[in-house]
Amino acid sequence: MYDILEAIEEWGWVVYIGRHRIFEVISMLHYFTIFWVVGTIALIDLRVLGLVGTKQTATEWQEQLSPWMWIAMVICLVSGFLEFAPGGGDFYLNFVFKWKVVATFAGIILSVMVYRGVPKWDRLPSMPGSAKVLAALCLIVWVGTILLGVEVANYASF
Amino acid sequence: MWAKWLETSPWGYPVRTSLWLYPFIQLIHFAGLSMWIGTSLALDMRLMGVGPKRRTAAELHEQLFAWNWIGFGIVVLGGFLLFSSAASTFLENTPFIWKLVHFVPCALLTHIVVQVKAPAWGRQESTPPVAKLAAVLEVSLWLCVATAAVLIPAF
Repeated sequence: MYDILEAIEEWGWVVYIGRHRIFEVISMLHYFTIFWVVGTIALIDLRVLGLVGTKQTATEWQEQLSPWMWIAMVICLVSGFLEFAPGGGDFYLNFVFKWKVVATFAGIILSVMVYRGVPKWDRLPSMPGSAKVLAALCLIVWVGTILLGVEVANYASF
Repeated sequence: MWAKWLETSPWGYPVRTSLWLYPFIQLIHFAGLSMWIGTSLALDMRLMGVGPKRRTAAELHEQLFAWNWIGFGIVVLGGFLLFSSAASTFLENTPFIWKLVHFVPCALLTHIVVQVKAPAWGRQESTPPVAKLAAVLEVSLWLCVATAAVLIPAF
């Protein structure tokens, strides 16, 4: 895997990104959209927990916010990969980064589970306990992803 | 001089010298930022007329208002503690000065205008051009804040 990532670092467009100002633009997009993603996911999770948007159903709340969640998530993932590619080999050696990737995918899976569960839970008389546990877990995992993102630089070998 | 005082204050000194406190405060700052940006952009997009229109901007504003300002409170608290830990270094950092002195006040002022006017602008399904303009301006200014923040470690 390390060799593959090192080879990717030599690709023309990856070298270009790594050596030009566009890297800062990509960093900014990644930085900005991670907060947008987590903020929007948090609002949906908090609705499942009954802490926000209680004047409308969780489905209505989710329909209002989820397009931004998915759009921001795609921008965040693409910009994250573009930021990662010029130093892929070094990132691969960083164990905190590996945990960040694991946490990100766990967060995405949990977010999809909440997203798919909301319309079903909404048809029940009240939000089930399992839904609240899932939403709380989703929130914790995303906060953990931010913490790991913060720590990546402290364990960098570059 | 006050920068040095902040660094040796009962809150600045522990954040600077502890191994875990600085990243923990960063986490708090970033968690608050998530709430702040998530709620602000949801309203801004609705004011721009982009995305779902099931709710009016006024209704959305009413529901997001408390969480928006809770997020802001957390951002300010975390940011102040981070700044206190290395105030003199931050004050010599050009992107930080741009962020704090120019972009944040402008973005915050625009945000306050949007928050105050949203109930009036957002009563109907369609929002007036001034609301769209204010929302675009706010998002642009927060992008400037993010750009300056990203550049801080490079200087």
